[in-house]
Amino acid sequence: MNQPRTAETAVDDVVSCLALNKSLDDRAILRGIDLTIASGEFVAILGNNGAGKTTLLKMLATLSMPTSGELRLFGQLVPRHAAAARARLGLIGHQSMLYRDLTARENLLFFGRLYGVNNVGNRADELLSWVGMSSRADDAVRTFSRGMTQRIAIARALIHDPDILLADEPFAGLDVAGADAVERLLSAQHQAGKTVVLVNHDVGQSLRLAQRVLLLRGGRLAVDQPARLNDLQDLHHQLSQPVGRG
Amino acid sequence: MKSARSILVVAFWLLVAGLFAVDLCLLRTYTPTEITMGPVQKIFYLHLPVAICTFLACLITFIASVGYLWQRRIVFDDLAWASARVAVQLCAVVLVTGMAWGRGAWGVWWTWSPRLTFSLVLFLLYCVYLILRSSVEGRQRRAMVAAVYGVIAFLDVPLVYLSTKLMKDIHPASIELEKSMQLTLLAWAVPVLLLSGGLICTRFRLNRLNTQLAEQTEHESQAFEPVIRPLSGNVARA
Amino acid sequence: MPLALQQLLLMVGKDLRIEARSRQTLGLVVVLGLLIVTVLGLGLGGDSAAGFGATVVLWVAYLFSGVLCFEKTMAVERSDGALAALMLAPTARATLYFSKLITNLLLMAAVALIITPAGVLFFHFDLSLAPGAFAGVMALSLLGFAAVGTLFASVVSSSRLQGGLLAMMVFPIALPLVIASTQLMLHRFRDGLPLELVAVGIIVAFDVIFLTASWLVFEIVLEP
Repeated sequence: MNQPRTAETAVDDVVSCLALNKSLDDRAILRGIDLTIASGEFVAILGNNGAGKTTLLKMLATLSMPTSGELRLFGQLVPRHAAAARARLGLIGHQSMLYRDLTARENLLFFGRLYGVNNVGNRADELLSWVGMSSRADDAVRTFSRGMTQRIAIARALIHDPDILLADEPFAGLDVAGADAVERLLSAQHQAGKTVVLVNHDVGQSLRLAQRVLLLRGGRLAVDQPARLNDLQDLHHQLSQPVGRG
Repeated sequence: MKSARSILVVAFWLLVAGLFAVDLCLLRTYTPTEITMGPVQKIFYLHLPVAICTFLACLITFIASVGYLWQRRIVFDDLAWASARVAVQLCAVVLVTGMAWGRGAWGVWWTWSPRLTFSLVLFLLYCVYLILRSSVEGRQRRAMVAAVYGVIAFLDVPLVYLSTKLMKDIHPASIELEKSMQLTLLAWAVPVLLLSGGLICTRFRLNRLNTQLAEQTEHESQAFEPVIRPLSGNVARA
Repeated sequence: MPLALQQLLLMVGKDLRIEARSRQTLGLVVVLGLLIVTVLGLGLGGDSAAGFGATVVLWVAYLFSGVLCFEKTMAVERSDGALAALMLAPTARATLYFSKLITNLLLMAAVALIITPAGVLFFHFDLSLAPGAFAGVMALSLLGFAAVGTLFASVVSSSRLQGGLLAMMVFPIALPLVIASTQLMLHRFRDGLPLELVAVGIIVAFDVIFLTASWLVFEIVLEP
């Protein structure tokens, strides 16, 4: 079903889920997720532990495959065209996904070369200065604080200039300065026209950063609305309710 | 329904026990004694069928492991585990009967002959499978690791067999089987096969029940009371 | 150069650089190997030990050292979740498997180069009869051993390193290699018989079967 690219379809959907289900051995983790994310959106996914947020993000990252239903990234069905999708997405998580014995620059050069990035040296330097780590470029990641490591992790995720950045609770374990840096980097990505999908615990922070907020409860999409700071209380309340069985 | 199943199960085990009893009588009255090794050779009639069933149990574990890797469903893991357990039990019998046979026929409890060595390695291979399971946490993770090992271990079996053949066998134990000996062997094969199958099925059923129970308890979460009552404060201190 | 080969070299280079930087694995593994050779040499009675104990001593040293190597090379990917990043990059899983295998083989080769002369020296093992055969058989055996070890190390999560778990899994699988190579060495060096093709065939068959099987299973089970 390939639509011709006209001016009207220029804003095409980056993510499109139709009746997405994920079960792990007869136990449903995600149920009937219908979701579309357009290019350039900043979406926050909220939910309690076990609600399926990380699972959903992993599926968007093609690291996990749906049990049933349809998942399209950049208009292409995922299991078959996962490789093409991966070239256009970047992921950060609570782990840094870096090699701690290599320097920041070496990490970026390694991943850049793996992605086949041209002029990888220049690209690495550009990213290092963008995340404010140029002065520590030749120090081993082992020597960095958590906040600094996350910044390099973001640089790593963006080395190949992906169209969508997926972030799985990137603020975990960060102090205020570290969290502030990550917030600003995510916003900068969004302002540059990239799509950002953020899985997060902090409701207020998510409402501040994102344009649109999703709430998962018991594997279902309970809320899908624009992000308004006024909804803070209501969302808090929804998250505090225990989920019924079934 | 339940009582009908219980009756069938009891009848099954009675049948197996009965067949073993019949076979023991057969050994005493009907089966001829082999010339070179004497009466101890009669262990062979138990040893060989059990050895074959051990191999079959290992094969079932292999198939179930492949099934798990392919489908990722715990039912395959439950079967693989049940079958591996029985394989270890049967292999222990193979080892013990093999050693008793060796002792009786040639005076030594142990020799690094191809047959005994192969039995020992097979026993160890599947013991590792069982211990592996208790060392890995998380049901899915455990099933995955066990399945990988289950596949590789079975592929190893023919290689173990071939490599043990390289070892010197000072006590070759190939026997010419007369008609009556063949019949005895067949008579022993039936209850051994039934016993092995029965053990696997029983164990598999138990594993399934445990799995289903574990899944149920995971779902039940206790809701946290919205109004938190103050604690009593009557804590005795020494 | 084809992309897969480029990526393979890139990943092996990365592993070797990390090893050179951290200097964790090689030193530990070599010293452990030497200790094992020493313990066995003394335990077998020093000079009164037979000259053909070398193969068993070497095998024990290789097995333990090897397992440590396999754990460490995989731990590098798991300690900070770099494996997920690798899986997102346009690399085939086969490339990942073979890069880890090659890294393991290089480390094991380094270990073997030090431990083998030590074993030969301590046990007065006369290799002059067929040094090529000895080297060839050991190399082929270590290849098969590493093929299985690389797979198992990737499945056994090393974030909670359960000492001995990987060793317990790999040792029984490797027994055909131990048996075949030992029988080969005994017949060639002690009995002076020509090299048995059947035994060599078993080792080669082991390598082929387990390289293929490990690679295929690795593709299926690898998870970030």
